[in-house]
Amino acid sequence: MSDAHLAVRIADGDSEAEAEVCRRLAPRIRLYGLRHLRSASAADDLVQQVLVKMLEALRAGRLVEPEKLAQFTLGTCRMTVIDLRRTARRQERLLAEFGSDLIPDPPPVPRLNDGQLARCVQMLKERERSVVVLTFYDEQTAGEAAGFLGITETNVRVIRHRALRNLRSCMEANA
Amino acid sequence: MPPPGPLPVDCAQPIDAAMLMDYWLGVLQSTVEEPIEEHLMGCDRCGDRLREVIALAEGLRALARSGALLVVISDHVVTRAEEMGHRIRQYAPPPGGSVQCTVSADDDLLVARLAADLSSADRVDLSWYTDQGVELVRMSDIPIRGDAGAVICQQSITMAKTSPSNTLIARLVSVDSAGAEHLLGEYAFHHTRTIPGPGEWKF
Repeated sequence: MSDAHLAVRIADGDSEAEAEVCRRLAPRIRLYGLRHLRSASAADDLVQQVLVKMLEALRAGRLVEPEKLAQFTLGTCRMTVIDLRRTARRQERLLAEFGSDLIPDPPPVPRLNDGQLARCVQMLKERERSVVVLTFYDEQTAGEAAGFLGITETNVRVIRHRALRNLRSCMEANA
Repeated sequence: MPPPGPLPVDCAQPIDAAMLMDYWLGVLQSTVEEPIEEHLMGCDRCGDRLREVIALAEGLRALARSGALLVVISDHVVTRAEEMGHRIRQYAPPPGGSVQCTVSADDDLLVARLAADLSSADRVDLSWYTDQGVELVRMSDIPIRGDAGAVICQQSITMAKTSPSNTLIARLVSVDSAGAEHLLGEYAFHHTRTIPGPGEWKF
């Protein structure tokens, strides 16, 4: 059943459809939260708050075009992240009303072989390894790395892309 | 209401892994980022791939912060490490000089500052030798900036903590277009072991 079909059924009062929408959307919302909030616990908060708002809107039939559920969810994520940054616990009343039992566990995070990753990083060219360390140590921008390396931001991005491609190949070859 | 759409069983246009990493790093323009987020909100296949990208990014961050890599770094990394409360051991012998050094169990980062005139060098290699002249590792074409006046090299803290007392020679050379090497600086590190372990390594 498509997301849009589920949205229609929720408007008709189908609680199983609500559970299915939560199951599908929660991992996607969590990824958005990880990207923008940089914290697993904040991302979990975001999942709860967005799902509560979504269910509220779907139950009330406020989603006029059900096939746009993804865009509606994304918009709700954006607004909620702004809210979360403004006040951390603004939605507690809604959470208390809906509870958090609809929120599924997040999908497992893939596990990397840390030792193999270290060996693959050590096999990179010197500039690639430096760019990787500068990028991930403190999420330094290409501009900051470019200043240190005496090259352009574009070149930093090219080196980073090449390094990550080489790393992925190395990790896959030794999986 | 419009009829329900088809179930998305697969992804016809998967997002490139490099693009997903740029998205995760937050370096994309908003006009590029927005369609990616719309796609991710409806595509679990690409969501799974983003999770793999995040795992790689987290692994690299942990590795970068572990101090275990042999790598040329910037002052910014050293400063950030200090701000994060990491314990840093730095040695800066002058060109042609030497320094007595060690590492303790609670050190997090081991850094060598190698002063040299890099202003006329296009390519610089950094080699590490034993005191018998055996080259242990050559770091070819290291990143340099001509006006930096020094190379900051992070030595593996993991390796240093297990190392017996020994002497390491660092040699910075510029390499010209014909492949000829010109010495920029040589630096001796006399390491004294303070953490218990085997007496010597065979090279």
